Amino acid sequence: MDTSTVKIIIQIIHYLFFAYAFSAILSYIILAIISGKETMEYLKRNSFVNYKDILSSTMSPSITIIAPAYNESLNVVENVRSLLSNHYVNYSVIIVNDGSKDDSLEKLIEAYDLEKVDYIINEKLKTKPLRSGVFKSKNPAFEKLMVVDKENGGKADALNMGLNISTSKYVACIDVDCLLIENALQKMIKPFLEVTDAKVIATGGVIRIANSCVIRGGKLIDVNLPKNLLVRSQILEYLRAFLLGRMAWSRLNGLLVISGAFGVFDKKIAIDVGGYDTNTVGEDMEIIVRMRRYMEEQGRKYKVSYIPDPLCWTEAPDNYKIFISQRNRWTRGTIETLRKHRKIAFNPKYGSFGLLSYPYWLIFERLAPIVETVGILYFAVLVILKEVRWEYALSFLVLAYLFSVLFSIVSLYSEELTFHQYKKKGTGYKLVLLSALEPFVLHPFILYAAVRGNIDYYFNKNKKWGEMKRKGFTSNTA
Amino acid sequence: MGKHKIVIAEDNSTLSLLLKFRLEKEGHELLMAVDGKEAIELIENNKPDLVITDIMMPFVSGLEVISHIRNKLALEIPIIVFSAAGQEEMVLKAFKLGANDFMGKPFSPNELVIRVNRLLS
Amino acid sequence: MIDYQYLIDYFEEFPFLIQLAWRISGLFLVAIFLLTIYLKVIRYHLRKKENEYKVFKNQYEALLVEYLYADEESEEAHTKQKAIISKIKSHIPIKYKRKMVLSVLYNLLNEVSGEMAESIKTLYYETGLIDYALTKLENKNWYVIAKGIGELRRFKIEESYGDIINFIEHSKKEVRNETQLYLVNLFRFDGLTFLNELKTPLSEWTQLQLLEVLQKFDDQQICDIKPWLKSKNDSVVLFALKLAQIYNQFEMKDILIELLSHDKKEIRICVIEVLTHLYGIEAKEMLKANFNELSIEEQISFFGLLEKLVVPSDEPFIEKHIFHKNFEIQLLALKILKTINLDKFMGLNKLSSNKKAPVMFKFVNNIS
Repeated sequence: MDTSTVKIIIQIIHYLFFAYAFSAILSYIILAIISGKETMEYLKRNSFVNYKDILSSTMSPSITIIAPAYNESLNVVENVRSLLSNHYVNYSVIIVNDGSKDDSLEKLIEAYDLEKVDYIINEKLKTKPLRSGVFKSKNPAFEKLMVVDKENGGKADALNMGLNISTSKYVACIDVDCLLIENALQKMIKPFLEVTDAKVIATGGVIRIANSCVIRGGKLIDVNLPKNLLVRSQILEYLRAFLLGRMAWSRLNGLLVISGAFGVFDKKIAIDVGGYDTNTVGEDMEIIVRMRRYMEEQGRKYKVSYIPDPLCWTEAPDNYKIFISQRNRWTRGTIETLRKHRKIAFNPKYGSFGLLSYPYWLIFERLAPIVETVGILYFAVLVILKEVRWEYALSFLVLAYLFSVLFSIVSLYSEELTFHQYKKKGTGYKLVLLSALEPFVLHPFILYAAVRGNIDYYFNKNKKWGEMKRKGFTSNTA
Repeated sequence: MGKHKIVIAEDNSTLSLLLKFRLEKEGHELLMAVDGKEAIELIENNKPDLVITDIMMPFVSGLEVISHIRNKLALEIPIIVFSAAGQEEMVLKAFKLGANDFMGKPFSPNELVIRVNRLLS
Repeated sequence: MIDYQYLIDYFEEFPFLIQLAWRISGLFLVAIFLLTIYLKVIRYHLRKKENEYKVFKNQYEALLVEYLYADEESEEAHTKQKAIISKIKSHIPIKYKRKMVLSVLYNLLNEVSGEMAESIKTLYYETGLIDYALTKLENKNWYVIAKGIGELRRFKIEESYGDIINFIEHSKKEVRNETQLYLVNLFRFDGLTFLNELKTPLSEWTQLQLLEVLQKFDDQQICDIKPWLKSKNDSVVLFALKLAQIYNQFEMKDILIELLSHDKKEIRICVIEVLTHLYGIEAKEMLKANFNELSIEEQISFFGLLEKLVVPSDEPFIEKHIFHKNFEIQLLALKILKTINLDKFMGLNKLSSNKKAPVMFKFVNNIS
């Protein structure tokens, strides 16, 4: 090949990389600014709201908390207790025991005085059948609780069972080991009741990391910064994602993900679209995309809402092995969802959903690890060929690094000025230090896991159900 | 009338301070809990003569407190529950579980004192 | 010095892009440094404020309780109360202390009534807290206004009516909602007259809050809801339907029956539910007659009505639907049939054991 052509091609590749990096960074900045505005607006709007005002109203809409459980025997009794202590009048809790092989069911029966009840299920969504049946408590103090024991079918299948059984207008789908703050349901239901010019189809919540926090009797007593560097880094990552990213997408009405760990849905629409997809590892992202698509196709005005208050606390993986397998699964979930709904991409029929959120997700979430890997490989080749122009490489590496540190620090600001959860003395300094370290202790592993996810998706189709070691059912997306 | 031990479970700190002040003036000994769990611990350890509990409380609800007193501890002590407007159903359940009296919020503290003394006499 | 100059020269020989990158990096570095220091300052202040807040809260709760119980006694108690007022007065110019005093006051106000509520209100006046709320109404930021209205509502301040009523058509819905709540909190059902003119939608959230306020009053004498049931504003109709149900408005039946042919499905369904609650037997034949024209949701609601208001003569109609393709309707039909004609149900039960829906028959058979 002509050397000049090669040069031109290489030149083009360089420009493409540069353009990609530049637009990614620009998008972060823009999203952060929008998030800041939206958060301020949110805080203003809610500064005079007294959530107690609607607390006791029996006219308030009914909500069912659906919590699938798989081999959770260790903590299930405590977890259920925490779910039962929400401050909302009109709600109930369905624990779907998804064919657990341990003694979860026996423990629940014992702790809550359960007895089997006759029950007929309207199978609007096809699921695996019941195993031992449906249980309710003999003690009126636990009247809100229902335990459904079914054959194993995976998390999506368990959630679908919950959707079939629930008689409420809204459902809160949640990981059973999540800790909800007392007024979580009031805050999450508010957007559904408040917006009058569009139909709110779902509300997502922020996930906070509970490792090292003091939890007593199902209540969050004290928030601590974990010692484990991996967990600590994830805190920073979550702060960035939730406070500087998702808030902006909520403003643009472009949220594609609601964490499977805690989200509230309009039940009718969730069922009308066919419930959770049992064939993906990313069912929590997939259902939102499908619900949005459905609303777009019906030409109805809708909104996916988002509440930035720290309402849901959960354990994050504390070792690299579990962490990597979790992120591997998230990656596959994203790929599957985007592929399944690729019709939406760049399709003006779907409005900003097709022209903005979907493409953004595709380009900057889905493709980012691939672009990055290609970049690294390319760089390695250049190193070997001694073709690196170090003065460029060094200056841009430093720039990129400093940007990421600065960005993390900005996310710390948005936390301090809003919810200020990490109150202890000395924590601030640790978090700043973490901002400097995080690109080394977390990012490489995220990248690795994402690449593995891609490889598993394309070349290792059997690996559908990578399970987290301790838990069967932690969420697929944060 | 002698000195009686009373356990109050109420998560509004100002209100519980107010009630403590008021009932101590009547010559009772007051033990305060901020949630149902603390209340149960206090009841088990102190054998009070009367229990006052809010229905809506974090973690262990007032209903559970009542159920615990009547079923697990099998105590016959009088129980008064507080409830907010619109919680009639809860009140019914509370009575079913064995509560003796109820007061709807907002209530008059003076009236509460009268009811407490009546139940203790 | 020479080295320094050399570095500058070296730097300036770089291409523009690299120079730019380094310059921005330098900027970032300075920003990181400054932000880190400032973060420390912010955190320090937040922590300090929080601690002070706790200390003050304990102090004020005790003071407040002392104040509230002082009036039972003598002259001496009176001077004590005065002292407490002037003490609180000296602190409230500081914003966060004022906030704290306010939150303690209305947390208590929510829970107590009678004389004690009155003395809390007196305290609110005498400490001058009310003046701060009134100045909020003149603020140019909508959320401050909303906050001010909310505060005056909680303390039931009637004098501010003249100022607040101007906000009833404010462009921000939050301000309108607070105004509506204020009116109902102070004037109960009379405060609802704003519904007559309401053009904007009344959100479900506001409706619930209004109902909540109304239910707190002992006097449950409701006003005439007829005009609202006939309102052109759908959300007002829905709200009036809730009122009709909660306050058992049997005399509204005729209008409710008219509403069964409202354009909006949501309203029609709600009407059926209210009629069920109000024993609207008159509606039954009407709905039965054009059952097939109803939407599936209305049909389900209607079976809910039948479950409560069924009479033996409805049997042929029920029987027609025991194999309805909708699960809920079929279930209700079977349940109702069982209550009005057990023998027939048992007969069907035997027959259907190898036909469709045996599970449901069995289920209905088992329930008591």
